[in-house]
Amino acid sequence: MAATSAQIAAMQAALEAEHAAVYGYGVTGAMLTGAAKSLAYADWRAHQIARDTLAAMLVKLGAAPVVASPAYTLPFAVTNAASARRLAAALEDGVTRAYLGLVAVNNRSLRIFGALAMQPPATRAAVWRGSTVAFPGMPGQQA
Amino acid sequence: MMLPLFLALSACKGPAVLSGPPPVADQTTMLLHAVTAEQNLIWIYKKAAAAYSGLAPSIAPLLAEHEAHLAQLRGRVIEPAGKRVPDAVTARPRPGATKAAALAQLRAAEHAAIATLMSRLDGASPSLAQLYASIAASEATHVTALTSLIGS
Repeated sequence: MAATSAQIAAMQAALEAEHAAVYGYGVTGAMLTGAAKSLAYADWRAHQIARDTLAAMLVKLGAAPVVASPAYTLPFAVTNAASARRLAAALEDGVTRAYLGLVAVNNRSLRIFGALAMQPPATRAAVWRGSTVAFPGMPGQQA
Repeated sequence: MMLPLFLALSACKGPAVLSGPPPVADQTTMLLHAVTAEQNLIWIYKKAAAAYSGLAPSIAPLLAEHEAHLAQLRGRVIEPAGKRVPDAVTARPRPGATKAAALAQLRAAEHAAIATLMSRLDGASPSLAQLYASIAASEATHVTALTSLIGS
């Protein structure tokens, strides 16, 4: 069954969020040291893998994957380790929210894919934030 | 008591006003099951907190989130005719024999909840599917938090 434009749009939005996360972790990692830097590196790699997975899925559906922007506007200035951690949590919240958009599409496989894909970024956001939220990805649930 | 008998005997084909309520839609049935599952989770958390007072502060935020999940799920229920929204706990396992065992039990319950919520996605409306997915993601964060507590 061919993907609908709504399904493609939701996948592109998730890919865009992954691009932003890959970029943002570059900023985050530069401000961290030790175990936190290692964690940021692991999370950066996870987003690269997720990005490539989404891009491959879009190609398979006959769509051109959205390309990364050269730069992204950060939601706040990142000047030290604390703000770097907050940025990491914000990036993960953004990715979680984008995958929640996929859950709303009328396609069983994509819906399950989106719901599963939400769980790692929601968990990483909680680790960076130091606390959990009741409804990851839902409006008003960001740090 | 004579009226139904009379109607049956007269083979009345009018509106079925005397028949039972219409069957509950699958989506509503799943939502009611989700309400019960969340109530069961809350019960286990409360029992663990009561059995091990040292655990209570650590798991209180997770318990509060489960209560928020329950409120959201209950809020989505349009009470079916002839059927009440469940408010009873249906599974009452004994808390683990040690604090670590109790935490492991909570973690296992969270894992089970994730699997059940994922199985409810198919056939749910888009907004209900998003609620299930968000709660499942929340349970996933709880698994990590509980794992940290077990290791601490």
